[in-house]
Amino acid sequence: MVARYGSGSNVLATGAIYNSPSRFTPYIGLLIVFKFLRAFGLFLSYDLLKLVHIVQFLFIVKFGAAIFLLFLQKPFTSGPRLTKRQWFRILRHAFFGSTIQLFWIFGLTLCGPVRTILLFEHSDLVVIAAASALFTGQGGSPAKIRGGVFMLLAILGILLFDHDDEAAHQSNFHPEGHHHHSSIITHMFYHAVNWSGLSDHKGGVVMLTLTICLNVGYNTASKKLSVDVGGAKRLHALSTLLSSLLLLPWASFIYFTRESQITVSWIYVLFPFIFVTLLVFILDYYVEAVCVNRLEIARTAKIGAIAIFTSAIFLGCFWNHPFVTHITTMQAVQEIVKEDHVLSGGVIFSFVLFMFSSHVLTNPNKGSKGSLVGYSAGGLPLYNMAEEAFQRTSHSVALVLKNGLKQILEESDSRRIFYFLCMNLFFTFVELVYGVWTNSLGLISDGFHMLFDCSALVMGLYAAVMSRWKATREFSYGYDRVEILSGYINGLFLVVIAFFVFTAALGRLFDPPDINTDRLLVVSVAGLVVNLFGIVAFSHGHSHGGGGGSHGHSHSKPKQHNHSHHGHGHGHHGHGHSHNSHNHSHGEQECSTKNSNMQGVFLHVLADTMGSVGVIISTILIENFGWNIADPICSLFIAFMIFLSVVPLLKDTAFVLLLRSPLEIEESLQVALQKVLSIDGVLSLRKQQFWSHTSSVMCGSIHVVTSPDASEQKIVSQVTAIFKELGVQNLTVQVEKEAYFQHMSGLSSNFDVIVEMTKNIKALNFQDPHSIKAV
Amino acid sequence: MVAKEMDFLMAEPKARRIIAYAAVNIVCVFILLLWCHSTNSMALTAYSYLAIFDLLRLLTALITLWVQKQGPSSVFSFGYERFEVLAVFSSTMLAQLGSFFIIKESVERMIQQPDVHEGRLLLGALVAFLVHIFMTYSVENKAFNHVVEASSSSWLQEHVADISEGFCKVVPGLSRLLLPRINPFALIAFAGATALFVTYVLIDMYNYQAADTWAAMCISVMTFGTMFPMAVYSGMILLQTTPTYVIGQLDKCLREASTLDGVLEFRNEHFWTLSFGKLAGSLHVRIRRDAQEQLVLAHVSSRLSNIVSDLTVQVFKDDWTRPTAYQIIHNSPFHSESSLSTIGVTPPVKLPLGSETSSMVPPGIQPFTPYKSGQYYTSTPMVPQGTSAAIYGSNPPSAFNKTDFATDSLTPIQTPQSGNMAGVIPGKNSVRLQQGYRTPDPKTGGLNSESVTLYAPGTQR
Repeated sequence: MVARYGSGSNVLATGAIYNSPSRFTPYIGLLIVFKFLRAFGLFLSYDLLKLVHIVQFLFIVKFGAAIFLLFLQKPFTSGPRLTKRQWFRILRHAFFGSTIQLFWIFGLTLCGPVRTILLFEHSDLVVIAAASALFTGQGGSPAKIRGGVFMLLAILGILLFDHDDEAAHQSNFHPEGHHHHSSIITHMFYHAVNWSGLSDHKGGVVMLTLTICLNVGYNTASKKLSVDVGGAKRLHALSTLLSSLLLLPWASFIYFTRESQITVSWIYVLFPFIFVTLLVFILDYYVEAVCVNRLEIARTAKIGAIAIFTSAIFLGCFWNHPFVTHITTMQAVQEIVKEDHVLSGGVIFSFVLFMFSSHVLTNPNKGSKGSLVGYSAGGLPLYNMAEEAFQRTSHSVALVLKNGLKQILEESDSRRIFYFLCMNLFFTFVELVYGVWTNSLGLISDGFHMLFDCSALVMGLYAAVMSRWKATREFSYGYDRVEILSGYINGLFLVVIAFFVFTAALGRLFDPPDINTDRLLVVSVAGLVVNLFGIVAFSHGHSHGGGGGSHGHSHSKPKQHNHSHHGHGHGHHGHGHSHNSHNHSHGEQECSTKNSNMQGVFLHVLADTMGSVGVIISTILIENFGWNIADPICSLFIAFMIFLSVVPLLKDTAFVLLLRSPLEIEESLQVALQKVLSIDGVLSLRKQQFWSHTSSVMCGSIHVVTSPDASEQKIVSQVTAIFKELGVQNLTVQVEKEAYFQHMSGLSSNFDVIVEMTKNIKALNFQDPHSIKAV
Repeated sequence: MVAKEMDFLMAEPKARRIIAYAAVNIVCVFILLLWCHSTNSMALTAYSYLAIFDLLRLLTALITLWVQKQGPSSVFSFGYERFEVLAVFSSTMLAQLGSFFIIKESVERMIQQPDVHEGRLLLGALVAFLVHIFMTYSVENKAFNHVVEASSSSWLQEHVADISEGFCKVVPGLSRLLLPRINPFALIAFAGATALFVTYVLIDMYNYQAADTWAAMCISVMTFGTMFPMAVYSGMILLQTTPTYVIGQLDKCLREASTLDGVLEFRNEHFWTLSFGKLAGSLHVRIRRDAQEQLVLAHVSSRLSNIVSDLTVQVFKDDWTRPTAYQIIHNSPFHSESSLSTIGVTPPVKLPLGSETSSMVPPGIQPFTPYKSGQYYTSTPMVPQGTSAAIYGSNPPSAFNKTDFATDSLTPIQTPQSGNMAGVIPGKNSVRLQQGYRTPDPKTGGLNSESVTLYAPGTQR
């Protein structure tokens, strides 16, 4: 057994996959060298592009590459014959490919080689990993998310913080009237850029970013075609040939219609062209293909990216050095076009971020999160991965929205909140648009304020919907309590608001600023109208919905009772507390069965209304009398009012959350407990715990100690009946006899329990006169 | 009433210390808020809210101290422990709402960036940082410590753990310091201070005023992220939910209990977290008509008592009004007479020691005599022999097995009555999920003074 495993590992060790790192060194070296050469080629082509039009450039390069590839791949003689349809698909592939490459080269002319390399030379793997981490939320580990964020930051860094030498740029490369500015793409591009107000190298950055996304999509889409055609290399060769043919008419058109402004002989640029074709389009392609085979794809991507970024920065530093220009025989160009793109802090910053993100994103995934199931016999942890897959059932967005809307509109509470929310959002939208239109900062910030207030409404809405969900394993009593919690959070929210208003008012009290009352009155009156509308809507449901808390339903199904009363809440204000024999609890119950969630929302709207009123009053005072002090005083007053109005809500909800015994049945509970004690056979009560689960549902549990000859079932039914009368629907009665304590003390290995049981038996003995007699 | 409680608390040196710290904290907060006003810096405001949060944390610690002195009352029948949960929830929620407010203000500032005076910025950051770190590490805050350990990691913690994992590959010695996760409060303090420092540099060197707003956003988002898991954890307790990690365990216990003789089904299973690491629950058990209620009740309770400390079980039968043969036996005069005679024994120690007890228990530990298993069940004439054999024949109760005694780490203790080693207490209490957290106070737990003396002087407490 052992020997076999041993030999197995030997096979693996000499195999192709698992190997010592030294075997890979030549490939890594090869990759680094050719990535450097590719960067060199791109710098060279940037210089060439100053002489040659981009379409011509692409045509020449593609044509050269096609010739090389025809010799190397022999696409016509090797492989299966292609059908007409396949030819068409290759043609389509070539068309899109050359379009993307045109964009890329155009970006190169705009941004310069360093930025182009930083933006465009990412492998598909990195881009896909970043996108899935950022946008799907299923990218995996936090490291990937970090990588994605850094990638985004790097692009933003180039876009925003890269202060390219714009003065020089403007004078040399100003789009209008320049010789590059002649093709259709260029025209469209400059129009777009002028419209958006970006400088054109920044426009180039945006374009390159979009192009690389396109390129990733294009590569992914062409995978199937390459399989059909018989290999990626054959497809590449054919596609290159076809795209050079596609570009030929355009290139020749440009050649004949426009005389070159820079007269350099073709011989002079021939050598650089061959160089670029070889380095950028042929050798790099083959080297990368080999390395992907030998190394893993992720590793190739990582090493390649790091190599080409570093060489880009390196070349960027030294490219315009006279010594280098001498070697690259580009003096002619140098004389004509001045140095335009320089390295800046932003580029270095982005370079570092790009390096980091491509490092992180190409790291192998640590494996998705599984839940620990247990340990194997060998002591290794076992994980369950299936769970996540089950949870990830995706629904279409439209379906989710439709269902959500249906749930919201099903029931009056959530419907009311929803309509008010819509109205509020509409008002906010109008305010924001008008603010932007008239360029009024006050209006815009007030709009944001409204948006912020809407968050409380959204929470209330969500809680109202959630409270109707069915009970689950985790929420064994159902989700009703969410409403209480939401009411509590809304209360805290209002406390925070009051606090902020208070501190702001204090600050203004000591140095009152000049307030610009322009348009303030109109806005606040409009806000007041909206809020008054809300107050009317909510207080209507408030008073009536509260009363409907316990209208007569069959009590056999406590859960359904509790679910259904929300549905018809406001309709049943003729509440029949038919089951409630205690008159004094009638009034109390009515005021406490109101929905805390709705109360929280109501208070929020009330606070807003008070705010609007305060603003109106202070505006009038300031405008008419010039009392600037009125504003902070009003604010102080409002803060105080908000705080006072919130205290009862906080108190009520906190008591429910703390499992306090229900306030409204406190007295009758004592009576009921006495009744239970008077039942025949009941000796004493333990752990009588009663609490309100929501404002309308009460739960309880009680331990009844009985004499040994009492019938348990009879006592259970009697006790249940007594508490049902009080409105406790969820009751658990544990009937304990002396035998139970003896069993328990025999069964438990826990010392505490034994001690407790001993105590209970003793207590029992003292209470039971018969047992004392027996001693 | 509050004054009385305060007097009560002031007697405790710990509480006095906390109140002194709180006074220091209030002064610092006041100074910080003044500086915020004078610098007009949003980032500093966001950061000094952490100091306000510290104040809330101190308050929570105070509540913990107070709660520990309280027992269940008629109004709060479950005891006052939920006050801690509510305190934690409120303070984390307030911190989140505060940071939410800051985000909103920052958005408004982005439209119109006011000038920030960087003069006191660094000083303010330093003061807030020191206050926060001091309050985090100097005060023993049981409730927050528990929540920090038990709640899931915030995204900030996750990222830092991920980075430090890579870091620890290079310097393995740091793993003790950085892994598995850092205290979130310390983390937010460091992260916020860093953000403020960067802001200072940017404003000082480049006069880049918008950095302040961005830093405020960053700090608020980080605060929000830090507080969120804790609020969720305590909020779930307030919502009376079953923690997901005990569901499996509970299921196992219930399955075990459902195989007991006579048990037909369970209904209305409600198990929920009462306070940090303490479960309460109620359960309805339907049993066969001829089964014995008290026996089933005892078995079900003992199965679940390891997990659920506050349990109520209602045993019910269908159609119970019709008497069964078993009930006739149960209610016979002979039976009740005999059971009464066993009740008569007041101190349980006096029960005669069964002959087979010594063979049941592992050597070295003398059993706590009155309640030892075999002896009890053989000596009581409670159950007709045939029935008891039927009940125990199918699955013997686990407490009687030797292995149970051997696996639990048991500490023998002395009883004053017999003088020899008697009884066992589990050294590691598996009921409380958080080890070392709040075992019930001898007074509040309802143990009388006599039973307290059962603890040997050398054991815990």
